[in-house]
Amino acid sequence: MSSISLTFERPEWLWLLLTLPLLVVVSWRALRSLDARLRFTALTARCLVLAVLIACAAGIEFEHTNRNLTVLFLLDRSNSIPKELYGAQEQFIREVVKTIPPEDRVGVLTFDAQSYVEQLPMRGNIFIEVLPEGLRPDRTDIAGAVRMAMALFPPDTAKRIIILSDGNNNVGDILGEVQRAKASGVGVDVVPMYYIRSKEIYAEKLVVPSLVKDGDLVPLRAILINPSNMPVKGTISLTHNSEAVPLPDELARQTLEPGQNLIALKVPVHGSKPHRFELVFRPDQESADTLPENNRATAFTFVGGGEKVLLLSLREEDDLALVRALQDEKIEVEVLNIADAEGLDLLGFMQYSSIILSNIGANWFTDEQQKQLITYVREMGGGLIMTGGDEAFGAGGWIGSPVEEIMPVDFEIKHRQVIPRGALAIVMHSCEMPRQNFSAKQIAAKAVETISSKDYFGLVSYSHMRGVIWDVPMQLATNKTMIKTAIDKMENGDMPDFGPSMEMAVTSLMQVKDAAQRHMIILSDGDASPPSQATINKMVQNKITCSTVGIGYGSHVMEPTLRQIATDTGGRFYAARNPKALPQIFVKESKVVRRPLLIEEPFMPQVYYGMSEVWTGFPLDAGLPPLNGMVLTSPKTDPLVEMPLVRKTSEGNDPVLAHWRVGLGKTVAFTSGYWSHWGGNWTQWSGYSKFWAQLVRWSMSEGKRGNYDVTTRLDGNVGRIIVNALDADSNYLNFLHLQAAVAQSDSGEIKQIKLTQVGPGQYEGQFDVNSTGQYVANISVVENGAASSVAHTGLAVPYSPEYKELAANDALLQEIVDTAEGKLWDVGDFQTAQIFRHDLPETRSRQPVWEWVLAWVLLPLFLIDVAVRRLASMVALSIFIEVLLFVVLLFGLGVVYRMGWSAVWGTLLVIAFCELVGWSIRFRSIRPALEFFTSSVVALRGAGHTSAGSLQQLKGTRERVRDERTGEGEVRLDPLEARKVKPLTPTENADSGVRFDVGDEAAQQQAGDLRSALGGAATDDTPTPKKFVRQPEQKPDEMGVESPMERLRRARQRARDQMDDQEGDKKQ
Amino acid sequence: MLIQAVQFPRVSSQKLLVVWLVGVALLSGAGCRREAGPNGVVQAFGTTGLGWGDFSYPRAISMAAGDKFYVVDKSARIQRFDQDGKFEVGWWMPDYKSGKPVGLTVHPDGRVLVADTHYHRISIFTADGQLLETRGGEGDQPGQFRLPTDVEVAADGTIFVSEYGGNDRITHFTADWQVISTIGEVPVAGMRINRPNKIDLDAEGNIWVADSCNHRIVCFAPDGTFLTSFGELGDGAGQLRFPYDLHVCRDGTLLVAEYGNHRLQWFNREGKSLRTWGTPGRELGQLYSPWGAAEGANGLVYIVDSLNNRLQMVRP
Repeated sequence: MSSISLTFERPEWLWLLLTLPLLVVVSWRALRSLDARLRFTALTARCLVLAVLIACAAGIEFEHTNRNLTVLFLLDRSNSIPKELYGAQEQFIREVVKTIPPEDRVGVLTFDAQSYVEQLPMRGNIFIEVLPEGLRPDRTDIAGAVRMAMALFPPDTAKRIIILSDGNNNVGDILGEVQRAKASGVGVDVVPMYYIRSKEIYAEKLVVPSLVKDGDLVPLRAILINPSNMPVKGTISLTHNSEAVPLPDELARQTLEPGQNLIALKVPVHGSKPHRFELVFRPDQESADTLPENNRATAFTFVGGGEKVLLLSLREEDDLALVRALQDEKIEVEVLNIADAEGLDLLGFMQYSSIILSNIGANWFTDEQQKQLITYVREMGGGLIMTGGDEAFGAGGWIGSPVEEIMPVDFEIKHRQVIPRGALAIVMHSCEMPRQNFSAKQIAAKAVETISSKDYFGLVSYSHMRGVIWDVPMQLATNKTMIKTAIDKMENGDMPDFGPSMEMAVTSLMQVKDAAQRHMIILSDGDASPPSQATINKMVQNKITCSTVGIGYGSHVMEPTLRQIATDTGGRFYAARNPKALPQIFVKESKVVRRPLLIEEPFMPQVYYGMSEVWTGFPLDAGLPPLNGMVLTSPKTDPLVEMPLVRKTSEGNDPVLAHWRVGLGKTVAFTSGYWSHWGGNWTQWSGYSKFWAQLVRWSMSEGKRGNYDVTTRLDGNVGRIIVNALDADSNYLNFLHLQAAVAQSDSGEIKQIKLTQVGPGQYEGQFDVNSTGQYVANISVVENGAASSVAHTGLAVPYSPEYKELAANDALLQEIVDTAEGKLWDVGDFQTAQIFRHDLPETRSRQPVWEWVLAWVLLPLFLIDVAVRRLASMVALSIFIEVLLFVVLLFGLGVVYRMGWSAVWGTLLVIAFCELVGWSIRFRSIRPALEFFTSSVVALRGAGHTSAGSLQQLKGTRERVRDERTGEGEVRLDPLEARKVKPLTPTENADSGVRFDVGDEAAQQQAGDLRSALGGAATDDTPTPKKFVRQPEQKPDEMGVESPMERLRRARQRARDQMDDQEGDKKQ
Repeated sequence: MLIQAVQFPRVSSQKLLVVWLVGVALLSGAGCRREAGPNGVVQAFGTTGLGWGDFSYPRAISMAAGDKFYVVDKSARIQRFDQDGKFEVGWWMPDYKSGKPVGLTVHPDGRVLVADTHYHRISIFTADGQLLETRGGEGDQPGQFRLPTDVEVAADGTIFVSEYGGNDRITHFTADWQVISTIGEVPVAGMRINRPNKIDLDAEGNIWVADSCNHRIVCFAPDGTFLTSFGELGDGAGQLRFPYDLHVCRDGTLLVAEYGNHRLQWFNREGKSLRTWGTPGRELGQLYSPWGAAEGANGLVYIVDSLNNRLQMVRP
């Protein structure tokens, strides 16, 4: 279904072909020394050379015209599509691809807010596996899917997109994208996914004031929509900060009339910021509602005043002293065990003015939570205090984490020469599951980030080509970027058994002599065979621990093998059923090699910077109680960092207490611990309570000033923040420089927006809302280049807009079809759907071929042109052309590169063809030879003796002549002189058989005898050898002296003279 | 005329030489574009894909009557081809979420027995892919399997199944799937068999086992007595690296496909390496992690060139 033609990239160059006649005229004269046939051949070759050269200059190219078709199915998998329709979508594809023409291709994408390639374009009737769920089904971006499809199409086929969607698009400009597709020749058909949700109740919104006072009754107003024409009875429930609010029956029982229903409630609020409300309506009859997801409305509000501190604790008993101390100083503290803090998000953090991480490792926080923690400090102005213990700072896996950036100390140790090192080897066996390799690489990179640059790191995997290899040879993790690049290149083959790779890892771990901790992590999603007992024994003997992680559940993890390895070596086994938990597992595991960062010996902390705000009122030189341990860190080299307490050593000062301001917030690092193990003496210290209270108060977010009334509103996909700014006397505050940091509470994603003044004292800003959840905004006013926080606000998006759709958007789908001039098919009627109709413009792909033409056409032609003139013999020329043709066909056209028998047959065909061409050229020249062979047999029979005698005589003559010539020795010494010697008489019937031209009458006679004796053809029959053969004017001996070039030159000159004479004669 | 004929060598001998030299130079120059020749490859077929006739990581081959052959790949499809490699029929395994089969064999009566590895059972199909029955199930008891890798049918109709998921062994069944014995549960020649990826039976009924992770070939008598073993880790002649398949050829030699060395190796029964074939790579005549090889009645060797997603038909 494709054809090939020749085109030119710059056809204007073809005008140069007009110079061809000029070439003919010039060459015809220059080639006159050749006979007519050769002259014609040479001229043709020469013209072709020029023509091909011009063709190359004009950019000759092949144009493939392809009539094949590629069809991409785009399946809408957003939440608006009822799940029951998924089967219909898949069945439609499965049925229509049964009619696919053999050369056409088909591919499948699914999409919601993102697009996912499920099946690359492939030839033939494909099978569609059960398609996985999308990642962001809360939005529909058809335009994005079309864009992705356009990128996936193979270039050389016609292209068609089939959209299976309900048309409820809420991201992107689908019509614009369809127009672009149409302009690129891509056809778009639509298969509408129709549904109608006639019985549906949904919550439009819940409105609360954005800021309330402690103890207020907060008014809540909910708007519920009943689109049907029947009233629906049901119950309302309200939760306040996850606790149910008891509602009196007259409020709880509601009858929703058709259309909008307003429900007003009042709830008292106590305590600090913020308060979350969620209102849910449950109809009495489930059949009255289709989607329960959209019956919720959420909102939150902040309460001014009141400050609370959150203490995240690993072991509560360690923190009792601190809690008591803070309470003594009238600071409200809430203690939360870190194990219960799983769901803590930005909004959760924002309930507190400051957060204390007491001996908490990084593994307790997800990446998102870490980002939210940073947002909480930097954008929302919160405080963060990290205190030591053996699970904090570098020893807690915080190295390389984003939180390290906002802390006043670096968790890597830069100021000390000698520190004990750890060594970590990772054995990677992850290839069985799709997408697994990618996460394997990410996890390995995470592990590299977490360890210190003074630690050793190595990564072993199985390469199909090279067997077990070090992707990252055991080395100091100094250049983490380079190591991560190496990890990225890891190919991760199908490892048959763990033995060799573990053996390799153990060997190199043992070679690292200065490592205090040696640890191995095996990541496996497959079925490799277990290692030998000898390997395990070696690990146990050398105190190498090994933790194993099984990933890719749902497939075939060899859990017993992995569990056994971990148990035998004193490591841990993790069944990582949730891939999102993997990075945390790795952070936790790589902490094992970070033990050397701990200093567990008594020391006296020294005051280093006594002017610090948090040290005000404490003695500068008085002896502080000793501490029994700390985590090594190094201070950030930023002038904002203040370091009141240090541990002085010969190698420098290790920070004990450091703090700084970062963004709108503040962070503190106390690298020792107040737990009894390290800080037991400190709890007895008289200044203990005052010290901690002062530290915590300093870190707390600052109070708000002025009188800012903030409201938020959701308009479709846009959130709006409106601020009314008044001063203490209720005058409008104009020309303020207001800005807001808007954070998505779940992802921690930050948007910085500017609020512009829209009226007296009124400012407005807007931001995109592209996911469900809570948006928290911190509004700050910028004065003299410094920002200070003035108000908090927020916006809750309880459910995806997909759940508000009650029917397919038929109008949009129709508009897509009209724009694209495509067709609309019914999803159930796959018999009539002509998905693979070939009515799209053919695709043309061009391929420049001038290089090939230059090598395989121009060069051979040029060689022929030269050969014609140089060889001057039809026979030789024919062989030359034959060989050239053979080479061009075999290698230029690639006949020999074919496979199997076709190469053999192709070669034979080429040989036959070349022979045919060769023989047809030399046929005329060879005929005499043939005749010679046939007749010579007859003649030889009768004239054997005669010819023998003649030959003898001939030989004698030659000998005699040679003797005579040898006598003239002095002549031979001087070639110039030799030329002056009178040439021997040229024979009348001379031809190129110079060997016989002895210039002797007798010899000539003998030659004639021989010729007649052999029955050779008469001289007259010969094809005018005179014309193209050099006239033998010299004696053979002279020729031996003269160079061939010289001879040729003179022969040419002579021929030209003769021709001039002839032409002169003709003119006369 | 005579002069004309004789003149030819006289005038052009030098130039003919030049012509031939040019020709030879061009030929050799052009020849340099490709390295080693096809190395006895008669045909290669299959491209990467999920269409019928395409492969996605093929892992086992079994010859059927008339040099037709079945191939199972990692998309969990069984495909049958005729002797020229033309696709005839194909089907998907009924379940493959947990993993895909790595072994299959064609029963003399035409049924296809698939080692449904990750479902710990043997699935039996008609020649055209109708599922007839499944045997086995996960467990360590005789008659149960953990990750069965291969199944073979002896001349007397009894059946051998190899497995590797912890209880690496071979189970011998009667034709109606009653357990006769289990083989290889004790160390032989110093090691317990470790991942017996393929088994094959010779004319005497001896069981040859590709003891993949021990990088050796092991032979048991039909009653399970250990007979011989050979091979060690390495890439020299006689050495092995993850032998994933072995096949007893008609002349009694053993054909071994080495996953780790990307080659085939022939041994005689005494364990002497006779020859090797193939180098690592993607060109024709090269192999990339081959999982299987089999010899057809036509003397051709069919190689499952797994990571190249193709089969190569070779006259070695």
